[in-house]
Amino acid sequence: MPAARASLPSAFGLVLLLALVPVLAPGNITLLNLGFLTFLYVAQGVAWNILGGFAGYVSFGYAAFYGLGAYTTALLWLAGWPPLLTYPAAGLVAAAFSLIVGGPTLRLTGPYFSIATIGVGEAMRILMLNLDRITGGASGLNLPTAVPSKAWFYLLALLIAAAAFTVAALVRRSPFGLGLQALRMDLEAAEGLGVRTALFKNLAHTLSAFIVGACGGLYATYLQFVHPDTVFSFTQSISLVLITLIGGIGTLWGPVLGAAVFYAVQDYLQTSYPTFHLLVYGVLLILILLFEPRGLVGLAGRLWRPLAAAVSRGQAGAGAGRTG
Amino acid sequence: MTPALVLAGITKRFGGLQAVQDVTAEIASGQITGLIGPNGAGKTTIFRIISGAMRPTAGRIVFGDREITGWSPHAVCRLGICLTHQIVRPFPDLTVLENVLVSASFGSGGRLRHSAGAEAEAVLEFTGLIARRDLPASALTLAERKRLEIARALATRPSVLLLDEVLAGLNPAESQRAVELVRQVKARGVTIFMIEHVMRAVMALSDRVLVINHGRLIADGPPAHVADLPQVIEAYLGKRLEG
Amino acid sequence: MFSAENLISVGIAALLTAGLYAIMSYGLAIIYGVMKVINLSNAGFLMLGAFLALVYFQRWHLDPVLGAFVNLPIFFAAGWIVHRLLVRRVVTALPIASLLLLFGLWLVLQNLALAVWGGEDQSIITAYTYKALPVLGFRIPVTRLIVFGVALVVLSILHFALGHTYLGKALRATVQDPVAGLLVGIDTEQINAMAFGLGTAFAGFAGGLLTLLFSFNPDFGGTFQLKSFTIIVLGGLENLAGVTVGAAILAFAESYAVLFMRASLQNVIAYALLVVALIVMPGGVAQLLSRRRT
Repeated sequence: MPAARASLPSAFGLVLLLALVPVLAPGNITLLNLGFLTFLYVAQGVAWNILGGFAGYVSFGYAAFYGLGAYTTALLWLAGWPPLLTYPAAGLVAAAFSLIVGGPTLRLTGPYFSIATIGVGEAMRILMLNLDRITGGASGLNLPTAVPSKAWFYLLALLIAAAAFTVAALVRRSPFGLGLQALRMDLEAAEGLGVRTALFKNLAHTLSAFIVGACGGLYATYLQFVHPDTVFSFTQSISLVLITLIGGIGTLWGPVLGAAVFYAVQDYLQTSYPTFHLLVYGVLLILILLFEPRGLVGLAGRLWRPLAAAVSRGQAGAGAGRTG
Repeated sequence: MTPALVLAGITKRFGGLQAVQDVTAEIASGQITGLIGPNGAGKTTIFRIISGAMRPTAGRIVFGDREITGWSPHAVCRLGICLTHQIVRPFPDLTVLENVLVSASFGSGGRLRHSAGAEAEAVLEFTGLIARRDLPASALTLAERKRLEIARALATRPSVLLLDEVLAGLNPAESQRAVELVRQVKARGVTIFMIEHVMRAVMALSDRVLVINHGRLIADGPPAHVADLPQVIEAYLGKRLEG
Repeated sequence: MFSAENLISVGIAALLTAGLYAIMSYGLAIIYGVMKVINLSNAGFLMLGAFLALVYFQRWHLDPVLGAFVNLPIFFAAGWIVHRLLVRRVVTALPIASLLLLFGLWLVLQNLALAVWGGEDQSIITAYTYKALPVLGFRIPVTRLIVFGVALVVLSILHFALGHTYLGKALRATVQDPVAGLLVGIDTEQINAMAFGLGTAFAGFAGGLLTLLFSFNPDFGGTFQLKSFTIIVLGGLENLAGVTVGAAILAFAESYAVLFMRASLQNVIAYALLVVALIVMPGGVAQLLSRRRT
């Protein structure tokens, strides 16, 4: 796939451009915050897409990993760890949990897996609310205020997003990625051709859980406060589903586009009430499922092809004119 | 010579239905063994049990010197037994090459090491699909999809190939090509166990034929001999009317 | 704590809850049974049913029970339209596509309600909201008795209709084998539309009834929906009669569990049961029972 080959270099270029923003506009806190949140969700969307898009297992419960990551960082930070070291730990805790719930739930097919993940996600939220001695329960946990600058958060989130994107791109090109796509299209046939479907599903699940967990940890340091109803919420889980579906599920750039749009729209629509953007996404989701299941990436593809064809025809015409 | 595959007392019950009853047979190495019988006799069930897609209620399957009863399908495939499906199941959104790459990468149990790509191309050449390699599998004709099904299985470098009605739905010209392909596969040393309804093809290709009716093995021998057995004729045509 | 009196009181509460749970889950069960579609917008219609009952109450002083019945035709029509316009177009794609489509619809319904009514809790207070009746020596809130009674009546009518009307039999036939249904002349397109309409009607009806017992806001419905899934999985995913069994199991499990654990953890039971049931016995209790027979 030539498009995929071009992805990493163009992504690298984009990252360099974006990294210049704190240098060019150091005082623009709004921009740095928007950037931070967008990159955080790019990373999570890209990670979610590995299981949801490549393997086809749509989870509505990733907030469990985000929340576990956030609380791991919170607790370790309060115990004196430097925040940077807590992020891999956050990822590991989330990954460990994903192995526990993934084993049994990934045996379920499509919609049943999705429903089960709703149950797991919500159960985790309630459990965390009730473990108040550890998690601070309904009052949440306040975290240290000695934090680095917004520019630091911006760049770290950009780095994590870039790393997640690279991982996803490498997976997609690898035999592992091919195996995931095969099992998505026909689980039994893939199994009969030697693909270890159970192992691959769990690997995809755990890999994405690690990334999402680390993001949760970063978010905790950014917000300096964690509460079960924020980090373990169903809204958090569905953000990842929406970002990836609207951007283009299963595609490489889909979650990137989706996250960018998600935050741009949310920022622009901060009008009447805080969840208005969800109304827009609900409608978008319906439209996408009815007309263009490959989301914005699919739409772009539909527009690009006639454009590219027209451009090349124009060039050929000009060339013929010159030599004639 | 040790048989490639041994079925010992294979039995399968679905609730009250006895699909396969106490089937015992040996599949000779390097030969083509046919599996015939009326519709619903239990043939595909036997194949699914061998490939690991289904567990038998009783009985054992022995491959070479290993018992593989109850092994998962991917393990059976990697060991060297590969199944093609009666109703073909290509991966629709992957290209023809990618379809074969899947099995080449995972199904060979280490026999291919790092040459999955080269093997995939070679298999496509062998099955005559190399010109279609970059098309999505959903764009292929039925005959081509059947060949893709075989190509995918061959890319696992199997020692035993289970062909389930590979001629079904093909016109005479396509059938001829398919029969030729099966002969070429045998020439490579692969043991073939094939379910078929097209009698001419089975009788012409097989070195031995097993006949199943109502889940029971009712005949086992060379094609010409089996074709004349009264119980086989009865299975297909029913009891002879008296008078 | 574990006195006989307390245990019986909990038991009665559980029974009353079971009736409510059953009526709330039938909508989901019918749609899943007939179309094999998981209707995530059920929560949205449940919530709208409650809000519409509120509107009837505020505008015309209509009792919420009557309001629930008024909802039936309105929501049937709504469900029919949703099926025609949206669901029908994705049913042929992957099963996950209809789940996601209906999820999108849920988001839309939730946020439309937020736009219209705002996010605060609403409740309907009638003349009998705080009254209780003595039954078998226990004082039981009138509202719970009414809901249970209505649920019982409606479920009986439903049971009769499923068994003795053409539509009911066609529905059950399609649940068991849609292809066979087609072969005997059942118009499955029509049946699907009817099922979706009926399922939505039940959601609106249950939503109206629920206002007697709970306060509500646009986020209302999510927890009930998950419990409904638990119920239909417990009862056996393709078993319409199993819904009452599943409802009873969940209601009793939840009610008695509170004797051992914090009340705030109660919902975890439903979620845990859902996941366990999906993995261990997708055929529900019905499957377990039939296994023992063979």
